[in-house]
Amino acid sequence: MTGPSLARPEGLVRGYLPVVVAIALLAAVPLVVGDSRYLVSVATLMVVLVCYGIGFNVVFGGTGQLLLSIGALAAVAAYTSALLGGELGWPLAVTLPVGVLGAAAGGAALSWVSVRRRLDTIFFGVVTLTASLVVHNLLLGRRELTGGETGLLVEGGSGTALRDPVTGYYVLLGLLAVGLAGHRAIQRSALGWAFRAIRDDAEAAELAGVDVARTKVTAAALGSGLVGAAGALYAHVDGFISPTTFAFATVDVRVIVVVVLGGLGTLLGPLVGAVAVSVLDELLRPLGQLRLAAYGAILLALFLGLPRGVVPTWATAWWRLRPRTPRGAHPDPAPSEAPDRSA
Amino acid sequence: MMAILLDGVVLGLQLAVLGVGISLVFGLSGVLDLAYGAKIVAAAVVGSELLAADVVPWMALATVVVVAAGLSLAVDRTVLAPVHRRVGEARVVLSLLVTLAVAFVLDGIVVSTRPLAALTLVVGGAPVEVLGVTMRRGSLLAAGVALAALVVAFVLLQGTRLGRAIRCVIQDVEGAQLCGIEPGRVRTVVVLLSGVLAGLVAITQGLAASVGTADGFDLTILAVVVAVVGGLGRVGGAAIAGVILGVVHALATATLGASGTWVVLLLAAVVTILVRPEGVVGPGGWRLWRHRAPGSAPSGEMVP
Repeated sequence: MTGPSLARPEGLVRGYLPVVVAIALLAAVPLVVGDSRYLVSVATLMVVLVCYGIGFNVVFGGTGQLLLSIGALAAVAAYTSALLGGELGWPLAVTLPVGVLGAAAGGAALSWVSVRRRLDTIFFGVVTLTASLVVHNLLLGRRELTGGETGLLVEGGSGTALRDPVTGYYVLLGLLAVGLAGHRAIQRSALGWAFRAIRDDAEAAELAGVDVARTKVTAAALGSGLVGAAGALYAHVDGFISPTTFAFATVDVRVIVVVVLGGLGTLLGPLVGAVAVSVLDELLRPLGQLRLAAYGAILLALFLGLPRGVVPTWATAWWRLRPRTPRGAHPDPAPSEAPDRSA
Repeated sequence: MMAILLDGVVLGLQLAVLGVGISLVFGLSGVLDLAYGAKIVAAAVVGSELLAADVVPWMALATVVVVAAGLSLAVDRTVLAPVHRRVGEARVVLSLLVTLAVAFVLDGIVVSTRPLAALTLVVGGAPVEVLGVTMRRGSLLAAGVALAALVVAFVLLQGTRLGRAIRCVIQDVEGAQLCGIEPGRVRTVVVLLSGVLAGLVAITQGLAASVGTADGFDLTILAVVVAVVGGLGRVGGAAIAGVILGVVHALATATLGASGTWVVLLLAAVVTILVRPEGVVGPGGWRLWRHRAPGSAPSGEMVP
């Protein structure tokens, strides 16, 4: 199962070109919508969503671990960073890395336990889902510390440039650039090969010398770290967090939509998905509560009609339209289980 | 103390029905129905509308059950059909995603059209003294309905030809087919049964407390927790786990408060999966879904 990028030797420039183009396009967004605080905040949320999406994509798309704790891991990082800053007065430069490490450790721990206990997908999903609900209820319950459902004002970013909406957007865009480039680097590295081997057949990968357990835990740590970084940075940019900001229904559900819509395991999938979902969100706003139903219907159509996601489907169409190369370097369009992971 | 215990048993019997309903379908087909709570809420809302329109109560309640069962079958026949065509992990993952989407559709429709609807069934009459504790008649009736539903479900599964056919398909689809059992029909029966149980949960919850439009997600999570603690796919385990968790719920609510109770229940599920994924109730009772018990079998081999 090799995508076109693996069949062709690919230069550094070509490998990272999609990342550069994507970031350049997103960097132009504030120039277009700059006047509207509202649209900038929508764009910021979108960038955060892409970061979550990349994290989920590395863990689920990369190694098949159905990590349903995206919101919870982001919350761990955000609350850790906010509380260390607020209660102990630690500076941002310390609290942010601590929060990110906390999220990465949390994700890695979930993965490690599951690998050790050889949990299959359904159990891993249930464990991570329950873990995220535990975090949610702890945030609600430890009112004296977290403010409960009223939320928490995050002081760490106040008085700094982070509070300027456009600057905040660019800071998160910077994180997104790191995330995208990092994902590309993983795809091009031995780790990326290990991912593909595990996704195809974990047992065969183990026999071929891939340390499956270690690869899975690494993927979970990297993905969760990115999720945590996005959550913590967003907390400081926005200045306010509450359990709802990171609730399962607000974060995880959207992340799944974004990644599945864009294309599981693909580089640009989360980005395409997040742009589509954010635009859709604004278009469906007049529907009010019925929006949820519309979401569900779109999801259903997607899961059943376009299970590989937009990016691989486009990529297949593109490779079909191109004149065939003698080596037959186009991806096999038939099996839906084998999306083109390089697009 | 006795009051807490009795409250726990009343809740526990309802949780047992909830867990059996979701576990039954998972056991048969590997589909973990994340729309289970949404179906309960949808049926409950239909019931509350009928009662508000002065329909005779027993007809309204019968409609609740019929709606839940019909909804179950409709979802299974339409959007879950492609899921059933898949095998193994792919089916499990796709079923999670698809049923989650179904839950959104149902929740979204219910919340947007009837935001304030709630099924509350008031039973008249003075409270009754049970073991020295005054209990509301509604709670007792809820417990009675739940218990009856469980008994009927178990008699159906254990004591009838149909039940044997169901268990046969679960053990070996091809073997069942050779014996003249049609797996498609068995699935229909199981899905309908699970839907009927969902309707009954709506009624018992309406009797004991009330079912509002926002309760779908919580009901689903409770169902999953009960099913997991009982051993996913093990119907007997789910029933026992439901009662145990009901008592735990009552004790935790009395001491820890709402969010603390959730933490305890959720941790029960996590600990079960990590320590004893086949369920807390032990090796007795038949297992519906022959999944590999994590950690207990060499990879690639099925546990007999």
